[in-house]
Amino acid sequence: MSVKYIPVQWNPNKWYYDGIMLVGVAAFLWVFLYITPDALGHERPINPQIHNARAFGACAFTMLTVILCIGPLARLDHRFLPLLYNRRHFGVMTAFVAATHAGYILDWYFAFSSRSPVQGLLEANTSYGQIAGFPFEILGVFALICLTLLAATSHDFWLKFLTPPVWKRLHYLIYAAYAAVVGHVVLGILQDDRGIGVNLLFIGGAALVCVLHLAAWWQGRAEPMGIAATGWVQVAPVDAFREGFAKITKLPDGDRVAVFLHEGQLSAIANACAHQNGPLGEGKIVDCLVTCPWHGFQYDVRNGQSPAPFTEKVPTYLVKVEGGAVFVNPAANPPGTAVAPVPLEKGAT
Amino acid sequence: MSIAPSLIFFLQVWGGVGAGVALLFLAWGIDRIDEDARGAYVFRVLIIPGILLIWPLVLWRWWQLEAQSGRWLARYQPVRRAHGLAALAMSVAIALIVFFGLSARQDWPADIAPVRVETGS
Repeated sequence: MSVKYIPVQWNPNKWYYDGIMLVGVAAFLWVFLYITPDALGHERPINPQIHNARAFGACAFTMLTVILCIGPLARLDHRFLPLLYNRRHFGVMTAFVAATHAGYILDWYFAFSSRSPVQGLLEANTSYGQIAGFPFEILGVFALICLTLLAATSHDFWLKFLTPPVWKRLHYLIYAAYAAVVGHVVLGILQDDRGIGVNLLFIGGAALVCVLHLAAWWQGRAEPMGIAATGWVQVAPVDAFREGFAKITKLPDGDRVAVFLHEGQLSAIANACAHQNGPLGEGKIVDCLVTCPWHGFQYDVRNGQSPAPFTEKVPTYLVKVEGGAVFVNPAANPPGTAVAPVPLEKGAT
Repeated sequence: MSIAPSLIFFLQVWGGVGAGVALLFLAWGIDRIDEDARGAYVFRVLIIPGILLIWPLVLWRWWQLEAQSGRWLARYQPVRRAHGLAALAMSVAIALIVFFGLSARQDWPADIAPVRVETGS
């Protein structure tokens, strides 16, 4: 949560997260460069420049694989949610590692001609109509552009400026980038290298990402939609509510609303956090404030406003109890609109 | 004829226009449309690469915010459906890439038994 923008909002958790990440990157490069050259199955002798390029390339692929696994893992099992926190720093670091890989490639394979390295890269192989011998470099260029774009738009300013839905759509480029990276690897290094370690790293990593995403997508499809009745949408029976927690329901237009029970009274706000559209309904209320499980943004459930001096707001909804069930009006109130909480009378008819 | 020089020239023009937009937006526009940016200057350096890359989108959002023409509810509508489609498309693309990519592998000549090439006749 921010009042005035600062370059990076450091806190102990972020230092810890980033420290582990940097140690992991250093360890991966060290192992790749000095411990496992034989196990990685470099079938032909390579010089240090190429070895470095491969180390940073493999590291970038592994980091991207881990990043893409975190999202579905957190959806499938909430114990992985802490990994989601600060994932943007992970993405920025991945862009730097990938750029280092590209630098080594340009400085070796395309550095010894009268053309500029970039022009050489674009002109060296233009056989786009075939699979064997496809200019796989261009897939890497595309992925690097995507990763740079995502890293360059990772500051919270961009989230607020573009709005979370537009920002999210822009950041869906990560999927295209990953598919391009897999193509870059399969049509590049894996055409020659048949070592078990390399193939397991790349193909196994890609398979893991696909399986986890498909599993999370499949689980999400099963989410029930609220039942509409006389214009209002039924959320759950009154007995289903627990003090301090919410019930989430999907509205007919696909939006989700979180109905909280706090001090025996019901309040409803949009389930999407104003920061990154994190699931507010999965947070717990403390002192009237619900905390988003993704990044810790807080909102008063009675008016959808962040506590002063913060300025974030989410829409609120009208709630009613009728026939032993809780209903919400699907028409959202403008963000920050105060709505009087509705007493929950268990067993009301 | 190679398109590489034209592509590089296009990218240079794109970046040049982006630099102009960045200068205008960070020196003047950002204070008009975002209260959290007023009095905050160091973070603006981090914003520059993004503006260079997506300056048309920056201009569009800047205009929207100045004109207050965006739908406020759109901000709170997560794009979950598109998320599933994106994940599905990525998985299918990866499966096809791996299948066809590995099918196109060729044996390295070192694995092929040498054949004496006959001359004449």
